[in-house]
Amino acid sequence: MCRVDDRCGWGARKKLFLKSMKRNNALRLQIAEMVFKAGEGHIPSAYSILEILSILYGHVLRYKSANPRWEKRDYFILSKGHGCAALYILLEKHGFISRSDLEKKSTLGGILGGHPDSTKVPGIEASTGSLGHGISIALGIALGLKIRKKKNKVITLIGDGESNEGTVWEAALVAANLSLGNLCVIVDENGSADQILPVNPLRKKWQAFGWEVYEVDGHAEKKLLNLLTRLQFSLSGRPKVIIAHTIKGKGVRFMQGHGVWHSRVPTEEEMTMIREELL
Amino acid sequence: MKNVMRQEFADTMLEIGKKDKNLIVLIGDISHFILQPFAKACPGRFYNIGICEPTIVSMAAGLAKVGFHPVVHTIAPFIIERSFEQIKDDFGYQKLGVNLVSVGSAFDYSDLGCTHHCYDDFALLKTIEGMQIIYPGSPLEFNLLFKQTYANGLPTYFRVPKVTHGIVFDKSQIQLGRAIIVQKGKDLTIVAIGPQLKTALASVKPLRALGMKPEILYLPTIKPFDRETVLKSLAKTKRCLVIEEHSMYGGVFDDVLRSAKDLRGVKFAGLNIGNTFIHEYGTYEELCTTLGFTPLEVLKKVQTELL
Repeated sequence: MCRVDDRCGWGARKKLFLKSMKRNNALRLQIAEMVFKAGEGHIPSAYSILEILSILYGHVLRYKSANPRWEKRDYFILSKGHGCAALYILLEKHGFISRSDLEKKSTLGGILGGHPDSTKVPGIEASTGSLGHGISIALGIALGLKIRKKKNKVITLIGDGESNEGTVWEAALVAANLSLGNLCVIVDENGSADQILPVNPLRKKWQAFGWEVYEVDGHAEKKLLNLLTRLQFSLSGRPKVIIAHTIKGKGVRFMQGHGVWHSRVPTEEEMTMIREELL
Repeated sequence: MKNVMRQEFADTMLEIGKKDKNLIVLIGDISHFILQPFAKACPGRFYNIGICEPTIVSMAAGLAKVGFHPVVHTIAPFIIERSFEQIKDDFGYQKLGVNLVSVGSAFDYSDLGCTHHCYDDFALLKTIEGMQIIYPGSPLEFNLLFKQTYANGLPTYFRVPKVTHGIVFDKSQIQLGRAIIVQKGKDLTIVAIGPQLKTALASVKPLRALGMKPEILYLPTIKPFDRETVLKSLAKTKRCLVIEEHSMYGGVFDDVLRSAKDLRGVKFAGLNIGNTFIHEYGTYEELCTTLGFTPLEVLKKVQTELL
């Protein structure tokens, strides 16, 4: 695993950056190939969260992939369940599921679908898909751990579009009121909400709800790493929110933005273009 | 007047909470005061979360994931109708256990209008795989059925009425999924649930005056449905009347019909709530009269639909 460090010189940093870009491009291609084969998936929503998940599973979360229910694990819930293609690729990379599971996505007998199923997929803590649920489930987990005085971290990733849901703000109120300092929400701020019902200024809103607010470029691995590894989780105090500014469809130019690509499956010609861009 | 059913809920929480450290109670700003003994005896396991029912329900799923037996308590339409998707996705789909304990059964909040009524709850919840539905008509039923189910890892709904049916059953009769034969008969089966057992029993005398001998079945559990006991009775009596404070759609009447589809020569009638919103106000008893939950209406139903 590539470790970015402040002490690196410019040359070393450039080398690490290129290495991480190459690695992430390979993961993005794997996502596209999986969706292409399955004939189903939300590629741009997965691309916007890839670096966040990569850092979480590479450096932040404690887990044992051979024992996904390990009592001391940190909890991660992808509340914006439609971004699960990125999560599946990382679960495979870190040993929770197999390459064969990826290949069987969206097939009868396979364990992976267009939204994650906690009863079937090792490492999936909550079955999400309907927006505004995962954050409240995470809230309950955080409360339960706090009652039991357990130090496991609880992290959930929501979308900015998902932030239109009233339950997100109900959860925000409750978490702050219960002083759940062991809970961190990451908002994938990829501009989806702006297309219909804008939610910005998010920083001011979360601050007003009593949360500790951070902002970061959601594709800058070094910044994500620094922020996520230095975040102080505790059994009291304010819950934390990281507003991660991201680009929907990041990595493949013709997919970027908010057009038809939200849930479109690439054609063979488009797959060739994706391969050319990512390889 | 003291609400004995709600008090029994609070007493049962205290009784079990003292023994089981995994019992945790979340409320949506109701029954706060009567739950104070539980709150004091079980510190850190009582939360008056606020007025945000869907979030309370989802939170309970998170608590279940880390080993608690959560109890979510508030008014029926808010816990069931408003939060139905949370119940379906977060407990049914994810196979997690929870105890949803309501107040405001059917039209108990008789002067508050339909925003506070809930008589489609069985129809909604029955669709969820694994869901247990319990409708205790006496404090003892709540206490025993809660103990039998609260930690079994399944989602369970307790529809807690304001009014009891007034009958004290033997403890051995109160079993999950089992109907109780309150009175044996030969030519009419009355299936009653909740406080309407009272109406069924009050109908016996006038029915006898007609020369009938009704058999009365009482169902404290709605799901799983005791098909066997009902069918055995229907095979004998060939006539069935279901009395329930529930919508005409998806209640016990539907369960009886589905169970008895292969029985020949049986006549059925239902005394329930039509496909209507109740726009009347009054006491619970007055609404019962308006809606036809009376021995007189039972007689009419029997005479016009079953004889």
